[in-house]
Amino acid sequence: MATLEEEFTLSAVTLGARPDGLLGVEPTDKTDHFLVTDRSRTVILYKVSDQKPLGSWSVKQGQIITCPAVCNFQTGEHIVVHDNKVLRIWNNEDINLDKVFKATLAAEVHSVHSVQGAEPVVLFRGGAARSLEALLAEPQQKVETVLSDGEVIKWSKFFVVFRHPVLVFITEKDGNHCAYVQMFHTRNLSKYTLWPGQEGKSVTLSFTAYVDRKFISLMSLSSDGCVYETLVPIYPSDTEKNQRLVRSLLLKLWSYGEHLFMLHGKCLTVIPCKCGVSSLAGALGKLQRARDPATWMAAPSGSEKHIEVELRKFLAKWTPDCHNLIGNITAGLLGRAKAEPAFYPRNCLMQLLQTHALSYSLCPGLMDAALERADVQVLQLCLQRFPDVPESVTCACLKTFLSIGDDSLQGININMESVFDYSNTEQDEKMEEQSGILRNGFSPEDSSCNRELNEKPQEPAAAPTPCPVTPQRAALLNGILCSAYSETFLLPHLKDIPAQHTTLFLQYLYFLYLKCSENAPMTLPGTHPPTLSQIMDWICLLLDANFTVVLMIPEAKRLLINLYRFVKSQISVYSELNKIEVSFRELRKLNQEKNNGGLYSIEVLELF
Amino acid sequence: MIVDRQYMGVSKRKCIVWGVAFLSDGTVISVDSAGKVQFWDSATGTLVKSHLIANADVQSIAVADQEDSFVVGTAEGTVFHFQLVSVTSNSTEKQWVRTKPFQHHTHDVRTVAHSPTALISGGTDTHLVIRPLMERVEVKNYDAALRKITFPHRRLISCSKKRQLLLFQFAHHLELWRLGSTVATGKNGDTLPLSKNADHLLHLKTKGPENIICSSISPCGSWIAYSTASRVFLYQLSYEHDNISLRRVSKMPAFLHSALQILFSEDSTKLFVASNQGSLHIIQLLEGSFKHLHTFPPQSGTVEAMCLLAVSPDGNWLAASGTSAGVHVYSVKHLKLHCTVPAYNFPVTALAIAPDTNNLVIAHSDQQVFEYSIPDKQYTEWSRNVQKQGFHHLWLQRDTPITHISFHPKRPMHILLHDAYMFCIIDKSLPLPNDKTVLYNPLPPTNESDVFRRRTAHAFKISKKYKPLLFMDLLDERTLVAVERPLDDIIAQLPPPIKKKKFGT
Repeated sequence: MATLEEEFTLSAVTLGARPDGLLGVEPTDKTDHFLVTDRSRTVILYKVSDQKPLGSWSVKQGQIITCPAVCNFQTGEHIVVHDNKVLRIWNNEDINLDKVFKATLAAEVHSVHSVQGAEPVVLFRGGAARSLEALLAEPQQKVETVLSDGEVIKWSKFFVVFRHPVLVFITEKDGNHCAYVQMFHTRNLSKYTLWPGQEGKSVTLSFTAYVDRKFISLMSLSSDGCVYETLVPIYPSDTEKNQRLVRSLLLKLWSYGEHLFMLHGKCLTVIPCKCGVSSLAGALGKLQRARDPATWMAAPSGSEKHIEVELRKFLAKWTPDCHNLIGNITAGLLGRAKAEPAFYPRNCLMQLLQTHALSYSLCPGLMDAALERADVQVLQLCLQRFPDVPESVTCACLKTFLSIGDDSLQGININMESVFDYSNTEQDEKMEEQSGILRNGFSPEDSSCNRELNEKPQEPAAAPTPCPVTPQRAALLNGILCSAYSETFLLPHLKDIPAQHTTLFLQYLYFLYLKCSENAPMTLPGTHPPTLSQIMDWICLLLDANFTVVLMIPEAKRLLINLYRFVKSQISVYSELNKIEVSFRELRKLNQEKNNGGLYSIEVLELF
Repeated sequence: MIVDRQYMGVSKRKCIVWGVAFLSDGTVISVDSAGKVQFWDSATGTLVKSHLIANADVQSIAVADQEDSFVVGTAEGTVFHFQLVSVTSNSTEKQWVRTKPFQHHTHDVRTVAHSPTALISGGTDTHLVIRPLMERVEVKNYDAALRKITFPHRRLISCSKKRQLLLFQFAHHLELWRLGSTVATGKNGDTLPLSKNADHLLHLKTKGPENIICSSISPCGSWIAYSTASRVFLYQLSYEHDNISLRRVSKMPAFLHSALQILFSEDSTKLFVASNQGSLHIIQLLEGSFKHLHTFPPQSGTVEAMCLLAVSPDGNWLAASGTSAGVHVYSVKHLKLHCTVPAYNFPVTALAIAPDTNNLVIAHSDQQVFEYSIPDKQYTEWSRNVQKQGFHHLWLQRDTPITHISFHPKRPMHILLHDAYMFCIIDKSLPLPNDKTVLYNPLPPTNESDVFRRRTAHAFKISKKYKPLLFMDLLDERTLVAVERPLDDIIAQLPPPIKKKKFGT
């Protein structure tokens, strides 16, 4: 059973401007390499497994390639015809098509055909065919015209039947088709008239053929949506016709081995396909296949409740290897959410996030949707779970976290594990000092602490700074602090944060810094707290981005002074440490000089 | 069975399997350069389980005899312990679990061993680490402590007293140095100006890849002998003013394949060779040649080779000791076994015969020191007293063995011995310290009264001035030579260790 794998576009192949820009795709002597011919001027040798071109050759400006390049399987050379009559033969090593072998023929060429096990043949527009070798022996030899006036070749194919090469081509004149079978070993050319289909109006669009014992089975795709099969005898006989009804798409198709080429507008795509081992189960249709749940997920009829139930069922048997499916489900839900503003399956999204299978790139719309609805719970989870949140989105989350009202945070179930109840430790440690100070901003009932702080500034040395934000907001901000970013990409977005929010965030960061400095290992309590370096990096980033703005805000003045003092004290501490280090080094040197008489010394030692 | 070349998702060019172990149940354990410990089923050739334990090579593996535990060493200096444990508390199904990591090395752990009670590891950083398995140690005493051994527990330096030469043994070469001298004098603790510096006289490289097992220079300084795993070499040195010439004595006897210990007699006329086959050879040294005098065959009933030799200064007695059986004393004059010192449970670490009395002093790995009179064929009175009273507990808890014993020619009551961290003069005329006495009593201040000095004095005069101390001997009545080997110097010569990321940089 053939499996079609995901398609991909041959990126390096840019087709000519005309819609029929692609002239052909032909196999070469290597299974994975294909010659792609562009009608304008270029032949590209493409390696499909690596998705990259191995070589590209172009004819001179003003020249035009008139038939697809083919590979001579016997020599490995490539053959192309440009300007109808000029034949070129070259190797992979050749760089310039202009300098390779050239033969100008006496008649216009329709196509060059090459298959494994046979010498290439050249089919002329007039219906005559010559083997390449015979032609090259005398390029200017006279070529007879077989076809009648106005009869043009529409399609041709080259086979090897019982080790003898056979060329089949179909011509058209006034809507009537003829099939010609050229036998090379007998030099016999047979002609058959193909009867038109039932509806005389239909136009035959495409042909394909294969050899079935003594017949060539010719399939023709007609504009009436039917595919006709015609059995053309290789050895002269009458033509027959039978008909089969098959719905088919208009596609230009090439299929070689495990690669199916398709032309979509101006793109050439290739679908690798594999023929798997056939099995009884497969034949009976009992092979287990994951049902695509995206259909029931996105179905407009499904209620949120129903989807939740289905999702839970699905997740129960979910394995980590189908994370694409999880992505599809999420995309389906988001697609519907976009279409119906009232639809926002929050619980489902949370469940999907919990699977650890999602990333930002797998469902880019998720965080946008959550931002739109200021769903901080989903955003927090996304920041925590996604390894690839873009800086602009991180910053948008930060803005949301800073601006969302305290009252809207009250009822939300936010993951608090990164936050430790700082107020308790403070009370334990500094009971005596702060007996007069009651619970600070960390108590849930007091949410206006930061305003209080600004109104009643306290001397930082005298009393501990209360946390400027509520624990819920602190948890959200910690999520930001712990997420990955690149400075260069984050800085421009940080400039958009309103000044009062910048100040608040700086105050919070400064508070965290002070908390960190309280213990020797310079860490915060809690399960997954931000690290000191994360805190310091964010302080630097915020100041870098908004320094001039922060300078102008009166409320930030105290904070800046504190930071300044802190930096100053750090500098003095480090300079003192440096002095001590130098002194120690000197002492050690002195000690060594005293103790170490070098490699060899004689000492006086009084022994008891 | 093909190992996976994936290493942290990156495909390395090649993956080297550094070690395999085959268990009796058919399990094959492999350790490889991709940092993996893998379990294979040898019957089906399939990978059963894989543990990624290091970002660098896993270089060594050793399995316990019971096959319920094994140890691996990595290039990051880490040693991991794996144990076969039950899946649940009351199930019979067992699986291999990585239980404990130990980081006692800075460099590659090239080899590991698994004793019934300890994990032993050694590698590039020159340390040998013995990590007792606490669950297997029955008595939680000092023996259950982690031991880190830096220096070999044997003598690597020999000395020619007459010419004041030191011969240093390295893995692949020997160095001969002449000691410097001074004309100055000074008081205790002074460093005297040198009138003549120490001279590097000779650098003798071995041929081939084999390590030097043992080496010796004759007391007269005219002979150097050393042995590798397959050959014994003898050189004669001649000195003319400052020039030194070296001549190899060819055609060593065919039976001399490899020696574990080589020793010259005090008068430099005889060479004693302890062969790895268990026999002892006596070779007469003549000008430019030699003559095989005698071979003492291995003692009947033993197969072990002698690894320590001592000869009496008068040349009459030769004492030899293996790793576990007792010390044998041979009469060189009569070429026969004189006596065997009663067997003791712990291996001998140093042997020496005192001048005049011909008392044999034996140090054991458990830090016991015995004195045995060769003429009387019994332990001396002093030795019996020591055994009766017992050694000071701090003496017994020292970490390194005594590797050399020597005597003062004019002070028969003194025994000089040292380990890597101290040297000690045992004065047999003084009372033995008991556990209440301060063992390490550096010289009491001279302003103290004689009474005080006598009261606190005991037989063990210990100095920790030089450490790590590789060698110490008396050159003459007034000169001691000590060789220190600072660890920093060794570390400086090591290749850089694998850098571990400590921070997010």
